[in-house]
Amino acid sequence: MESLTVLATLKSLAQISAFVNEASQRAGLDDHTAWQVELAVDEAATNIIQHGYDPDHPGIIELTWRIEDDRLVITLRDYGRRFNPDDVPPPDVSSPLEERQPGGLGLYLMNQLMDQVRFDFDDTDGNLLTMVKYIQPHVSVDVREFCLSGRLDAVGAALALAPVHQAIADGAAYVLIDFGNVTFLSSTALRSLLLARKDLLERNGELRLCNLRPQVREVFELTGFTQVFAIHSSRTEALAAFGQEHV
Amino acid sequence: MEITHKRLNRVDLLTIKGRLDAMNAPQLKQKFDELFDQNRYRIVLDLAGLEYVASPGLRVLIEARKRARDRKLTDLEGGDVRIANLPPRIKEVFDLTGFTSLFEIYPDTVEAVGSF
Repeated sequence: MESLTVLATLKSLAQISAFVNEASQRAGLDDHTAWQVELAVDEAATNIIQHGYDPDHPGIIELTWRIEDDRLVITLRDYGRRFNPDDVPPPDVSSPLEERQPGGLGLYLMNQLMDQVRFDFDDTDGNLLTMVKYIQPHVSVDVREFCLSGRLDAVGAALALAPVHQAIADGAAYVLIDFGNVTFLSSTALRSLLLARKDLLERNGELRLCNLRPQVREVFELTGFTQVFAIHSSRTEALAAFGQEHV
Repeated sequence: MEITHKRLNRVDLLTIKGRLDAMNAPQLKQKFDELFDQNRYRIVLDLAGLEYVASPGLRVLIEARKRARDRKLTDLEGGDVRIANLPPRIKEVFDLTGFTSLFEIYPDTVEAVGSF
């Protein structure tokens, strides 16, 4: 286990990033994953610096990292104000500019970028934040990834799913669709997904879906399609499943 | 982070390079404040050299666009903060946070400046 203790000031952010990048390198993370970890820890440290302590009397942040099997585990401990993540409403990332609230983005990004984020509070041991990133398994097949967003109503579905069908027409066999930013799913979208699944199955390919929001997941559940589609809670989990088992 | 400013006829072009994190975000906010104080509300951000953005930087961007748009320059047209040359990794943060649909994003500065 490696550790670093810094003063909770914005000037320390560069040192924290260097410490975390060293961890990612030792864990063998690719550039993209290393950047996700760097950003998540940067957001966490910024929250402690700006909200945990009184900026005029900064305390300390104790960081550690360790590799456990296939996971990089990073912890940040501080002795500032207690922070309850449930008090921070997640930002509505689909709201228009006029209604957009600028807060809550840091915590939101941490949750998006890491595979696990956990807060523990103790009066003597301080506030402990534990974040986990899975070390990417080797993906044995060539996966085409699509990230959809917004409302997949009749019109939106046709537009959003056109590139997916095009890729399948062009010969893609392994397709991952990230629904993280999809806020609404229509029956047109479901039909379109069924069609994509059928086309892929015919060539022994796989269609996998990940990051469904609760309201979108509900559509799948109501229609019984949770049994039909391979649905994963995270991109990492979905990628790891490709080529391992049959859908 | 390095900000360079070029004043064009109707538009101000800000080129932002390096890291836009909590440490540097106030510097960008100050630049926007200066422009707004001079009644300059049509702004293009060239982000080709932006390597990293964190939420305090995003906050400065969204607040600047809100202020610019609230300023009515004519009866029909308000100000705006528009973006050119969004690098892939920055675009990923924009996509994650829904910022892609909050800004007008152009493939290059010529188009972005010309859009005003």
